[in-house]
Amino acid sequence: MNRWMLGAGLLLATVVSVLLGVRLGSVPLTTPQVLEALKGGGDPVIRDIVVQLRLPRVLLGVLVGGGLAIAGATFQALLRNPLAEPYILGISGGASVGAVLVLAFGWVAAGSWALPLAAFAGALVAIVLVFRVATATGRAMDVRVLLLAGVVVAAFFSACIAFILSISPARTIQSAVLWIMGSLAGATWRGVFLTAVYTTPAVLLLVGLARPLNLLAIGEETAHHLGADVEKVKRTSLVVAALITASGVAVAGVIGFVGLIVPHAVRLLVGSDHRALLPLSFLAGAAFLTLADLAARLALSPTEIPIGVITAFIGVPFFLVLLRRSMTTP
Amino acid sequence: MRPRQIPRVVMGLRHALLLLVSAGVACSSGDRQPADDRDGSERAGGAAAVEIVDANGRTLRLDEPAARILSLVPSATLTLRTLGAGDRLVGRTDYDTEPWASELPSVGGGLEPNLEAVVTLQPDLVVRFAGSQDRRTPQRLDDLGIPHLAVRPDGIGDVLETIRMLGLATGRTAEADSLVSAIRSDLQDLEARVAAFPRKSVAYVLGGTPPWVAGPGTYIDELLTLAGGDNVFADLEALYAPVSPEEVRSRRIDVVLASGAEAFDTSLAPDARVEVVDDRLEIPGPDLADSARRLAELLHGPLPSGPLPADP
Repeated sequence: MNRWMLGAGLLLATVVSVLLGVRLGSVPLTTPQVLEALKGGGDPVIRDIVVQLRLPRVLLGVLVGGGLAIAGATFQALLRNPLAEPYILGISGGASVGAVLVLAFGWVAAGSWALPLAAFAGALVAIVLVFRVATATGRAMDVRVLLLAGVVVAAFFSACIAFILSISPARTIQSAVLWIMGSLAGATWRGVFLTAVYTTPAVLLLVGLARPLNLLAIGEETAHHLGADVEKVKRTSLVVAALITASGVAVAGVIGFVGLIVPHAVRLLVGSDHRALLPLSFLAGAAFLTLADLAARLALSPTEIPIGVITAFIGVPFFLVLLRRSMTTP
Repeated sequence: MRPRQIPRVVMGLRHALLLLVSAGVACSSGDRQPADDRDGSERAGGAAAVEIVDANGRTLRLDEPAARILSLVPSATLTLRTLGAGDRLVGRTDYDTEPWASELPSVGGGLEPNLEAVVTLQPDLVVRFAGSQDRRTPQRLDDLGIPHLAVRPDGIGDVLETIRMLGLATGRTAEADSLVSAIRSDLQDLEARVAAFPRKSVAYVLGGTPPWVAGPGTYIDELLTLAGGDNVFADLEALYAPVSPEEVRSRRIDVVLASGAEAFDTSLAPDARVEVVDDRLEIPGPDLADSARRLAELLHGPLPSGPLPADP
């Protein structure tokens, strides 16, 4: 498929999903009501619903969904492993341990920032740990060691979580499991700004590294011979992608499948040139997560379904169809 | 996903009533024979023997009142203590954390307890959760020949039923009857007193993002109704569920009851009064009338004391 056509389509899809996300929700509103609220008028309850609840939530969906997808694409390129996804370095495990600790000690009431901060700190611990192990052997970072270290660190963190939960009361277990499943319901304008301030330059930086990433995806040796500063590209892009993931986990919990499936789907459509793959993955991830969140809000309204359930329910069948098609058409 | 260990639905009043009736019939012989002055010759299947139909419809036969009791259900443990059978408890669970419990050995959780610890305590009665979360324990207790009684600690009717069953099992039926009638009259008194206040629209929030709220059919919903409150999430199709933040914002709420130490985002209900509730109120136990009264005072302020205006 033509990458420009796909790009235009995905951009349109993102815009439409944002509009739908603001227009629709658990409380039925009319289009004039929503427009009036956006202009700052109308009923204060509706204004709060549209401006303070729906809008930041939808924008956070764009940032987190896009961020996870581009991080996933980067990890898949760097680790040269189709199973790579944003959480593969144990980031979700580290973040979850931070969040579960906060919940277990009941620090939630101390301030709404305790949970995201602890999750971010936990993610950083995981990243530092995994990178230290991967670089310990010598000057060059070995991605195979990185991958193994990530898997092992993730397993260790899940054991920590299981242990903390096994000695926690039912209430903590409930909160923790819900947090781990991820949700965009906690979106605030402050959260959106913080995520945007971080994610926007990080995404631009990754897109800027698309050409050396293309070379790296072939092989480190080749990339080196073709003049890429392999170590620098590897480290920069890994750290940037890991931090995008960490900030996403901090504000929205662990949302699975986006970072694994979206880059693969885009790759099946446009090939693996990262100059197209990275920005298109961002757009596809943004549209996908925003729509998944909308479904999570609407399907059983007024109840919300965990967004991870929706990303898996929609994402997996869609991906399997794409996969089958790519196998059958030469 | 539904949290596994949150108190589950009251199973339906009809079933509870059935149990009540059958237990009442079965116990009539036990009533007349106080536990303490049993005649030794009558022990084996004598007048002290009781049959109790438990919350799962199973008939438990006890030849004499239970003397070594292990309760896996914290609210039933409270009931046993209230009935004056606290000295017959031989163990506890990890969830019994009050000072009196510290001297008793723990068998772990109330669901799937450590069976070795259970056997070591040599209980002659194990009080356990009805319901299907833990299918293993009753089977193993049967294998080991340890009598067990299933109780359902989910609603007001269940609590009263549990009190009756435990009264039978311990030979303290008189205490059980007076406890039940005390709770009943306290609740009637409370209803009469809150009738003077306008009913409040209440959201009971259990924390989380999106916020979890208590729906209809929960113990909390029952207590709220008695306390003069109307649950604004009475339309929920689940017992407890996370709701969209905009649902909280759009509904008219007088009071938000925020459970335990969980944070509630007050911007979701700027016009409501937010009160923090001790989450022990959520445990359906023998002090349920006190819990209802405390909820009522959170909703309406101090209740007038003294004789009721409408007292006949």
